Amino acid sequence: MAKWKAEDKSIDEATQEMIRKAERDGVELVWDRLEKQQPQCGYGQLGVCCKNCMAGPCRIDPFGDGPQKGVCGATADTIVARTVDRMIAAGAAAHSDHGRHVVLALHEALEGNAPYPIKDEKKLRSVAKRLGVETEGRDAQEIAKDVVKIAFDDFGKQDEKLIHFADAYASEKRKEVWEKVGVSPRNIDREVVEIMHRTHIGVDHEPLSLIAQGLRASLGDGWGGSLIATELQDVLFGTPQISKSEANLGVLQEDKVNIIVHGHEPVMAEKVVEAAMDPEMIEYAKSKGAAGINLAGMCCTGLELLMRDNIPIAGNYLQQELAIVTGAVEAMIVDVQCIMPALVDVARCYHTKIIDTSPIASFPGATHIKFDESRADEIAREIVKTAIDNFKNRVQTKVRIPKGKSEAIGGFSVEATLEALGGSLAPLEDAIKSGKIRGIAGIVGCNNPKVKHNSNHIAIVNELIKNDILVIGTGCWATACAEYGIFLPEYAENAGEGLKAVCKALGIPPALNMGSCVDCSRMLVIADLMARDLGVDISDLPLVGSATEAMTEKAVSIGTYFVASGIYTHLGVVPPVMGSQEVINILTKGAMDLVGGAFFIEPNPVKAAKIMAEYIEKKRKALGI
Amino acid sequence: MKSVIVNPEKCIGCKQCEIACAVAHSQTKDLFGMLSEDVLSKPRIHIETGVDLLTFPNKCRHCNPAPCVEVCPTGALYRDDDTDSVVIDYGKCIACGMCAIACPFGIISFGKTYKILVDRDVNVKCDNCIDRQNEGLEPACVEACKTNALVFGDVNDIIKEKRKSVTLNVTKSPDEPEKVEIPANIQLWRDMLKEMNHANR
Repeated sequence: MAKWKAEDKSIDEATQEMIRKAERDGVELVWDRLEKQQPQCGYGQLGVCCKNCMAGPCRIDPFGDGPQKGVCGATADTIVARTVDRMIAAGAAAHSDHGRHVVLALHEALEGNAPYPIKDEKKLRSVAKRLGVETEGRDAQEIAKDVVKIAFDDFGKQDEKLIHFADAYASEKRKEVWEKVGVSPRNIDREVVEIMHRTHIGVDHEPLSLIAQGLRASLGDGWGGSLIATELQDVLFGTPQISKSEANLGVLQEDKVNIIVHGHEPVMAEKVVEAAMDPEMIEYAKSKGAAGINLAGMCCTGLELLMRDNIPIAGNYLQQELAIVTGAVEAMIVDVQCIMPALVDVARCYHTKIIDTSPIASFPGATHIKFDESRADEIAREIVKTAIDNFKNRVQTKVRIPKGKSEAIGGFSVEATLEALGGSLAPLEDAIKSGKIRGIAGIVGCNNPKVKHNSNHIAIVNELIKNDILVIGTGCWATACAEYGIFLPEYAENAGEGLKAVCKALGIPPALNMGSCVDCSRMLVIADLMARDLGVDISDLPLVGSATEAMTEKAVSIGTYFVASGIYTHLGVVPPVMGSQEVINILTKGAMDLVGGAFFIEPNPVKAAKIMAEYIEKKRKALGI
Repeated sequence: MKSVIVNPEKCIGCKQCEIACAVAHSQTKDLFGMLSEDVLSKPRIHIETGVDLLTFPNKCRHCNPAPCVEVCPTGALYRDDDTDSVVIDYGKCIACGMCAIACPFGIISFGKTYKILVDRDVNVKCDNCIDRQNEGLEPACVEACKTNALVFGDVNDIIKEKRKSVTLNVTKSPDEPEKVEIPANIQLWRDMLKEMNHANR
């Protein structure tokens, strides 16, 4: 096979430059490993491999001549449905456990055991009000205690009722749909556990009921775990406000101690930010010969910090190894999710220290400095000091920082977006009604080495905005847009006339950065708000979703809760479902009848955008606008 | 003439034939036992990726006359008349590589085998599982293949089936759809993989 060239691995020049450097330096990267994995097993790709019991593993012959049932008798339809369910369970678990950690941090802070003051009391009061917590004449501590209690209850209650957060945030119309179909999540953890139970040998075998439980668990994520994470992170660390920062590998600085914070949870990262800004630490860095400390983010931690603190972001998922390849990173601090264990091997070729901090995520060969909220400040300082002490080990001949970086506006939380619009969604809704904006597309992140890095993300945005569709989104998609200059108001020049005029009038970019992947909940809240304003259900709105470079199980959960929230959702990477026509039918058609949303799979981003635009027009027609 | 016939359109790249082959040529003939043997058994069938991520199970075709047998200077490679297989006497192999040069399919590789007590590489090509065939079993790769990408039997019988379907397709009325061998969802999956693969190469 022809050599896979750097320019075919990523559309980004800084990334290509570092891929070539890695090759010269003899460093193995994610693309090399993907090539070594080829061919990838067709049973796994089709979802027809079952490893759920020790009578197996079993696989179904997709061509129909060989075995059509597993040892227990499970068909391809059952096995594929179970495969998808377990992916949803893992994705929902990851987001929701992140959410739990935030609640725990707030709880510990309120008990006086952890140094996390409530930074955004206004947000706390608004969350509390939604949840029906009394706020009049009560201080923040008291209110927060009640909010924490409700959040804990959503992870642990045993009744059959909808979780409190979903109940408080979703509109009546949507809740009725969930109730009717039987997919109202009762407890965030319980729905994940129930998937593990149902997919155990000899329990649920009906594809439809299995997928329905998948929808329920995903809703526990979107309107539960993820929503709790977003809302309480805003309370603890501040609700993002619109502001400018920079993105791409070029944010690293040659003369400073470069520290990258990578992963997902701001509970640790925010403390590292504080420590890195401490004048005492900066002095210490200077005493070691550096001009100062340059802190940059990576992946969703990067987006959390960019949204709240204007910290520059060095890259998205496929750039994590390349940041180390610059030879200029003293330490990469990691916590959970989407962190390649290969980082440790890449770091061995340079001087970079990989520091793992989460008690639940250890990386063989890394430096372990485990984070404990009660000693947060002390540990954060230790981490920063470790990075500074490593500055002297930098090998100048190995250093090469690419120039590529772009300015980007971020911080479009629901609150900041409303503020930019003058207090309500009305200007946006009017633009949609008048047809200047045809509809909204919500895009969520991931990179996948099977897709040319960032290419689908950018291609789909360009197509959508050309069709006057406003784009909002999160995760690695947001980083891709930030690196490409899409999050600048002037990028609206590339939009259709209608969207361009709206962007100019409001001074906003044609695509809005709403944060990290747990912040997909912000997109749900916006969709819900719009549905309430127009007196319809979310599924009636001219909205679409997309995961163009999907890779993680979290993306499967996000896509599923978009669908279960009534949104037609595109997947740009083929998920392991193609082995069952019945499951394909449920996900792409049946779900539409049940919950008013469904998936469609289309690897070509231009074709996908066309389908999305057509769907939006169909919805507009139905609304009579 | 009995042979392993390949239906490449049914290969989904699971590599189970490779594992079954390695087990069949190990000393213990057991997956878990194999991994702790002194000489690690290696597959003699190879699944590699071609265009559009499609795969082809490549193995010895046991040609007759076989170029490798013709060029072997020591007579290490010879024909087993009972099974019509090209097999090797490991002790006679001098690892000169002439067979690998001559092989039109590129399937000859060199390695160690527990069968001879010398610490050197020899030709360890597919032996058509003659030990298994002598016990009345199919070659291990064929047994492992659940999609019928690999089938074993009389070549004429197997080809006859294919011939029949060709006849049906060329004689059918132009209005009738062609008889499709590949299910629609699998064809769709392959088309999507092709799309993705073309987008980043």
